[in-house]
Amino acid sequence: MNSLERILRATRLEPVDRTPLVPQLFGHAAVCAGLSLRDYLHDGEALAHAQIRARERYRTDAVFAFLDFGVEAEALGAQLSFGDDRYPDVVGCVLGADDDPARLRLPEPASAGRMPVCLRALRTMRQRLGDSALVAGAVAGPMTASAQLYGIENALFLAIDDPPRLAAALDFSTRLAIRYGLAQLDAGAHAVIVFDPAASPAVVPPGFFREFLAPRLGRVLAALRGGGAAFTWLNIAGPTAGILDCYAHIGADVATFDYYLSAAEASRLLPRTCLAGNLKSLDFLDAAPDVVKREARGLVAAFGGRGGFLLSSGCEIPPEAAAGNIAAMAAALNED
Amino acid sequence: MNGPHSSGPSTEAAFQPLVDALLVGDHKLAAAVAQHLIEQGCSREQVVTDGLEHAMGLLDDKCTVESFNLLEIMLVGRAVSAVVRVLYPDGYAPTEGRATFVIATLEGDVHDLGKNIVRMVLAGKGFRVVDLGRDCPVDDLVGAAQREGAAAVLVSGLISPVVSQVRKLRPALRACGLAHVPVVAGGAALKQLRPEALDVDYVAENAFDGAHYLERHVSGAPTT
Repeated sequence: MNSLERILRATRLEPVDRTPLVPQLFGHAAVCAGLSLRDYLHDGEALAHAQIRARERYRTDAVFAFLDFGVEAEALGAQLSFGDDRYPDVVGCVLGADDDPARLRLPEPASAGRMPVCLRALRTMRQRLGDSALVAGAVAGPMTASAQLYGIENALFLAIDDPPRLAAALDFSTRLAIRYGLAQLDAGAHAVIVFDPAASPAVVPPGFFREFLAPRLGRVLAALRGGGAAFTWLNIAGPTAGILDCYAHIGADVATFDYYLSAAEASRLLPRTCLAGNLKSLDFLDAAPDVVKREARGLVAAFGGRGGFLLSSGCEIPPEAAAGNIAAMAAALNED
Repeated sequence: MNGPHSSGPSTEAAFQPLVDALLVGDHKLAAAVAQHLIEQGCSREQVVTDGLEHAMGLLDDKCTVESFNLLEIMLVGRAVSAVVRVLYPDGYAPTEGRATFVIATLEGDVHDLGKNIVRMVLAGKGFRVVDLGRDCPVDDLVGAAQREGAAAVLVSGLISPVVSQVRKLRPALRACGLAHVPVVAGGAALKQLRPEALDVDYVAENAFDGAHYLERHVSGAPTT
């Protein structure tokens, strides 16, 4: 059973030879490869090789062409500020507080901003790995992309001050995620993870999620499935207990859950959905390796009878994480 | 503008429209009602105590760890800010708030939404908050704490690189003779770590949790 087969079986809640190891290692791959984040995020070939090296180092089952949450906004003309060792920030939003999203046009992923970096990385990773391991792409979900277009505070105030305009921004962001995601599938991604941290109940109420975001996320996931994705994956960090139960209706085959929820609670809310999580991401900075290993073993044991589990972190493992902590997570599986 | 000893309507009913406007997040109505109350003879202190603090108390009760979202708090916070601008167009003077805190998002982190929420919550509770903004060097924050006579230093962090900056705060405060000034941290990244791992006095689960700690601190009550 190779890495991709292992993950695919887990997504269908079928038996696997061992729990798939799918930690959210993005910028950490740059650190492992001795690259600055700035270079990693601008060079698809370098990103691909760094991801493959990180996979080999930690013996994980997946590689990711995740860049940062500025990609979509940048492709539409937003100004980003880059640093050598940090992800970029949007410093000039595409839309002012009073702007109408109708003036935006969908970008062409083959040429807009750094979208080609992602596509190049996916092509290279797929060529190198074929179907031996999961090659995953990434898009920002509708709320996160809208927040990047307007700025998070302006986007949230629109929810109350001008709901039709926020709805228009969410609809545009939905089409944007679909177009960019389909381009990633064409470039070789087996699946495209939909990240929507701004949809978390830490930011918007569950009622808002169900009314405004769930239908649009459902459209994104359905389009990705229709475009050939091997499975769909929704990744929302934070305290998602109030929304997790509707992921199955949205059409998510895999659902990330963060450290706020226990394995038992997540399983109760999504009994027939593959779950990915939920090690605390900041534990990878400071926690001793034995702590990470104990937590990881606890998760594997918790899902032992159920299956349908990908061992991961609830959010990104920080780029500056201690390698020993990540290795400890992998070691927990080797002792299965 | 009314002075601290002016009198006016002080019944709960008189302030209910302001509390209602604040809780539904209608910033324009809240500012208009506050202006009306002042014109009716209410003191600024009354508006803060019976209006802002009362509304923030109700919101506080509603926002548990399990039920806390930024959208609702931002809306109330925006309304609070609008009322504070009516009452104190130039902001709270150093002698006017219950205590002064300095707050920032430290160098390397430009995400300031969480910080802004904390600032609005504390303003609604009658505290003076000096906001050093985002991407703020540790030395600037410590300098502001010294200059403003801050009762506490507050930092918010969404991303992990800011952890190393937070750890520099305590030694920098100590070097300036401010070892007695507590440091409170919060935000999605920082709240995953324990106070001793960050070398701070308290890690807040959310804005209200942090405010509770600070209220205990300034009142001299035990903080643990």
